[in-house]
Amino acid sequence: MSGAFDWKGAAVPFRAGETVASALLRSGVRDFGPFCGIGQCQGCLVRVDGRVTEACLALCRAGALVQPLEARDAG
Amino acid sequence: MPDDRVIVVGAGPAGMAAAVALAEGGQRVLLVDQARTPGGAVHRAPLPGVAPLGLPEHRRRWAALTARATAQASRIETAFETRFAGVDATGAVLLTGARNRLLQPRGVIVALGARERVLPRPGWTLPGVLTAGAIQTGLKTSGEAPQGRVVLAGSGPLLLAVGAELAALGRPPVAIIEAARPFGAGALGLPLAYLAEAARYRLRLLGVPVLTGSRLVEIVPGLEAMVDTPKGPRRFAADLIGLHDGIAPNVSGLGGPCPIPLLRAGDGREALGARAAMLDGTRAGQAMLALLAGRPVPPEPAALIRQRAAQARLARIYARDEGAALDALPPDTILCRCESRSRADLAALGESPTGRDLRLTGRFGMGACQGRVCGEWVAHFAKTRDLGRPRLPLRPLSIADLLAVPAADTGD
Amino acid sequence: MLRLPFTQRGSRPLSGVATVSAEFDVAVLGAGIVGASCAWHLARRGARVVVIDASGPAAAASGASDGAVSVASKKPGVLARLATQSLLYTRTLAQDGPLRGHFHPRPAWYFATTEAELVALDALIAKLDALDGPVRSGRDGGAALLPGAGVLVRRLVEIRGEGHMTGYSAVRALLADPRIARLWPAAVAAIEPDDKGVTLALADGRSLRAGRVIAALGTSTPALFPGLPVRPLAGQLIITDRGAPGALEGALTAASYLIAKTADPSRLPEPPVVIDPLVTGQVLIGSSRVEHGDPARMDFDTILRLVRRAAAVWPALAERRVIRAFVGIRAAVADGLPIVGALPGFDRVLLATGFEGDGICLSALMGREVAAMALGDSPAEGVERDLAALSPARFEPAAREVAQ
Repeated sequence: MSGAFDWKGAAVPFRAGETVASALLRSGVRDFGPFCGIGQCQGCLVRVDGRVTEACLALCRAGALVQPLEARDAG
Repeated sequence: MPDDRVIVVGAGPAGMAAAVALAEGGQRVLLVDQARTPGGAVHRAPLPGVAPLGLPEHRRRWAALTARATAQASRIETAFETRFAGVDATGAVLLTGARNRLLQPRGVIVALGARERVLPRPGWTLPGVLTAGAIQTGLKTSGEAPQGRVVLAGSGPLLLAVGAELAALGRPPVAIIEAARPFGAGALGLPLAYLAEAARYRLRLLGVPVLTGSRLVEIVPGLEAMVDTPKGPRRFAADLIGLHDGIAPNVSGLGGPCPIPLLRAGDGREALGARAAMLDGTRAGQAMLALLAGRPVPPEPAALIRQRAAQARLARIYARDEGAALDALPPDTILCRCESRSRADLAALGESPTGRDLRLTGRFGMGACQGRVCGEWVAHFAKTRDLGRPRLPLRPLSIADLLAVPAADTGD
Repeated sequence: MLRLPFTQRGSRPLSGVATVSAEFDVAVLGAGIVGASCAWHLARRGARVVVIDASGPAAAASGASDGAVSVASKKPGVLARLATQSLLYTRTLAQDGPLRGHFHPRPAWYFATTEAELVALDALIAKLDALDGPVRSGRDGGAALLPGAGVLVRRLVEIRGEGHMTGYSAVRALLADPRIARLWPAAVAAIEPDDKGVTLALADGRSLRAGRVIAALGTSTPALFPGLPVRPLAGQLIITDRGAPGALEGALTAASYLIAKTADPSRLPEPPVVIDPLVTGQVLIGSSRVEHGDPARMDFDTILRLVRRAAAVWPALAERRVIRAFVGIRAAVADGLPIVGALPGFDRVLLATGFEGDGICLSALMGREVAAMALGDSPAEGVERDLAALSPARFEPAAREVAQ
């Protein structure tokens, strides 16, 4: 299964089993703080359907609303 | 309520080998991993339909291990997309994510692998700057090299591995910046398998500048890597920069003493690489069986001791002066990425700040990663090892997940 | 041979130990909020004062505390009256004194979900009415009073007139006074008073002299005064990540917290939860009350119970993440009152300890009054009787029995 999720109003396509960070990076989106890729640095936090999670760990879901975090509310 | 299983955390080579050893010894296992598939960092599973990267001999060893795990399927239960929050002082293990449970296992083997060390540098928080390992994880899963120009910088064999994989996927890196000078005569003492691997990487990287004895000293916005080489400064424009300065055990914050056997395995015990991780996982599984049966714990296998010696040689080959690189950083260099705290902020705490000063007043290590990225560098500048007790949970826990833990698990 | 009340090692011979050359009017043992306040008040009055701590400023309860400057949470009677005086004086020190920028007025809320808690809120209102001071109960009603409160909340009471002071920053501000000498890390192994002063033996073999000693040792009190009934009371605390600033302007506390101050905490049906919005944007969720002093003894079971109740009362917490959980240790006294005053028969040795998490709130007043005691002055008008109730003399007969 593949599909797309919403990021700032644009549809970001993903492949089955892909993480949100991977799909964003492949689409050329770089400004969501990705760094370590293993959930440790907490840089790539996003909201997926309202819930804060690491983009590098969260798996994509078709139709999900993925949003950047409000400035500096991560820590 | 008490559980008759051993929980193995991490389904990479060490965790998988530990689970197999436990199951083959008759012990039931719950194998937990935060990813959707087993493999860890080194055997990261590609997306469906993507050809696996990585060297054939590594893939054969992993396939043989997973076949043994499959044969023990009745004893090994798996929980993927599940996070391990830690073991508490009562021996309880909290899992969240796809499963939200508080369990009381017989024992725990933690095989969380390695974390990448990345030295702070001016500009290391800019968009487009990742760890080299994060770039590699992307390659392995998607089977695609990222668009645009990639610069890899820092130190360690991983830079060559990632560079070679990028080249194999048709987009070689613009440059590899290596602080050490690893290609001297000292390399000849390495095991043959290491040399063969390195030779294969170098072959794939023909035509790619590999600048040794060189440092990426600054990244400027718009993404340009400013490099100091023995022959003078150079600049490389990039779309993506992968940083890497070696690996270290990923163990921070495992908590204090607990009443059940708790063992570490693989790179999470001692960062010795994938070959050693599998051996060490087997060792940990057998040690756990012995502890649970009240038998003496078997000694380390000789093969593991040989791997340690080879890694020590590799470390000598990659020797470089990290302290000098750190001390040369400008005062406004960010150390703590979570809370945007700089070297100057740390200096403002005075000559010898206590762990409390660093955390409460300086806010170093108080952000979401809890100092797991910057702790080593803060300790260097503060000249202290006292950054405070590692605190649970190992990773931030969603309160919504905590609310989904069954009341029966807390005896309510 | 000299034996101090409540100590076991006051008689250790000190001859032949290297001496720290400086001599002080007063040595304050403990760089927590109470010790820091004592030192600042002494320095202001011209005394030569040194603060000695085994690790450093705010290393124990003052650093782990939620920082409430609260009258409502105090036991009725002595503590509630002293807290009132301390709150007023904290405001003064925050206006034109060392606490400027560190004390912030803010409202507080107490909630009830059970019958016992409903009754405890009646008692809270009665307590504040009787005090007739600056802290008053405000609105009183159902969950609808506070947008964001969960439907399980049966009653809310608003408290007006209180405030908040972050412990570690207040400690730093007080100790920043250049007239205060500092000595840490340095553990005090023994204290020995004589006719002219007190000799302090440090664990590293050095010693120093002071005219008087104030032991503001908090959780470390038993190390020097094992005969005093000070025991550790652990509390697990949770820190969340930052989030959108909700409607919560001040701490939201379970009425069972008020019950816990007077009853056996292990028998509480509901955890005495406090939901405290921190100045950083994070939220602190506290706190359990268990009798032990081990900061490593964290358990997920307690965390889950605290989180469940907190999220039931303030459902927006479900959107947050727990980034840190830890154990703070309070210094509790058997009878629930701090120990403040001179050791019986030894007016050169003063105690200011056992505040059980109320140190931030009481520190301003206690610093002023204990400094006055150390300089031989009488207490301020109106607090004499309540201060006398905190004297260590109240334990003396029992302690003598133990010694014999």
